[in-house]
Amino acid sequence: MRDMELDLTGRLMADMDPQLLEFLKEKVDSFVKWDLVRFFHDNPHTTDTADNIARYAGRNEDVIKAELAELARDGILEEQQLDDMLVYSLTRDPEGRQVVEEFIKASRDREFRVKAIYHIVRGTR
Amino acid sequence: MERMKTGIPGLDEMLFGGFLPQTANLVEGAPGTGKTTLGMQFIHHGIVACNEPGLILTFEEFPQQYYRDAESFGWNFRKLEQEGKLRVVMTSPEVSKSDLEQVGGRIENLVKEIGAKRVLVDSLSHFERIVETPTELRNTAFSFINSLKREGLTAVLTRESDALLGESEDSDETFGFLVDSYIMLRYVEIESSVRKAILTLKMRGSNHDKGIRQFEITSRGIEIRTPFEGREGIMSGSPRRMVDSFVEAFVRK
Repeated sequence: MRDMELDLTGRLMADMDPQLLEFLKEKVDSFVKWDLVRFFHDNPHTTDTADNIARYAGRNEDVIKAELAELARDGILEEQQLDDMLVYSLTRDPEGRQVVEEFIKASRDREFRVKAIYHIVRGTR
Repeated sequence: MERMKTGIPGLDEMLFGGFLPQTANLVEGAPGTGKTTLGMQFIHHGIVACNEPGLILTFEEFPQQYYRDAESFGWNFRKLEQEGKLRVVMTSPEVSKSDLEQVGGRIENLVKEIGAKRVLVDSLSHFERIVETPTELRNTAFSFINSLKREGLTAVLTRESDALLGESEDSDETFGFLVDSYIMLRYVEIESSVRKAILTLKMRGSNHDKGIRQFEITSRGIEIRTPFEGREGIMSGSPRRMVDSFVEAFVRK
């Protein structure tokens, strides 16, 4: 059963862009992170605190705090201490922004989304 | 004297040519009166007609909402962003204030990056939720407004009034004192129909039209119409014909 599943995953991922596959495997490994990446893609100039971002994204602050920190650790977001606030914004690195752009563009395709969802679900088990 | 034209037919005449450069200009009104539209028109006109890039700082709406709203007036904000002439920044008042106080903060960098000359802040009302006292509000808003001026920006700052018709009961004059010009937008009920009125209440350093004019939001944005004539108490929301007031005051005694 496990072998069959690995085989299916392998086939599902085989024709995925290697860069996007890597991005998905290493960085966007939860639906909350996916949401946050999409949020910052749509709002590339936003700099804000976790509680405000939670409000914008319609999520609970406790849920997204750790995810924001991990996205910052992985270089997708930038984390900055602003007075007594910890704020997040999209990376200014052009290469990083390009990968985010390509990921969001690819995720408009249903087939890509199905594969990505499958990957995330499998990763969270 | 140099002016920053709004591009709104009739408003520039009311302002004797437009806003003064590097000033803070408050536009106050009830929801739906056209505060944001006025601000967007100011930004759009600056970019396309005056080669003055602009910034929109929004504390409540997503950038997509501005793109959609602008599109309904034929203004392509997405394209202007792609061309590096516009930035729509969704943030919070507390973060934007702290960011502007930093040397080399993100907003300062955006201003430099696109050479912004104009800014729309939508809306100042949100500062009221991050402070506890009127003094704190005044200090916070004063510092924020000054940081925009320091960046060389001419600002349109919107503020929501909680009264749909007439004057707000708990009207706070904090912002009115801090800004250089103060424009009021009001709904007015006349003979069972609701119209919109605009008044420039103050304009520091310049003369301006003191009249109360009608305006409409058309498919091209805001257009100022003729003054209200033969009526008084316009800004109360329920104006009376002057002849009725005369009769009441002198004839019915």
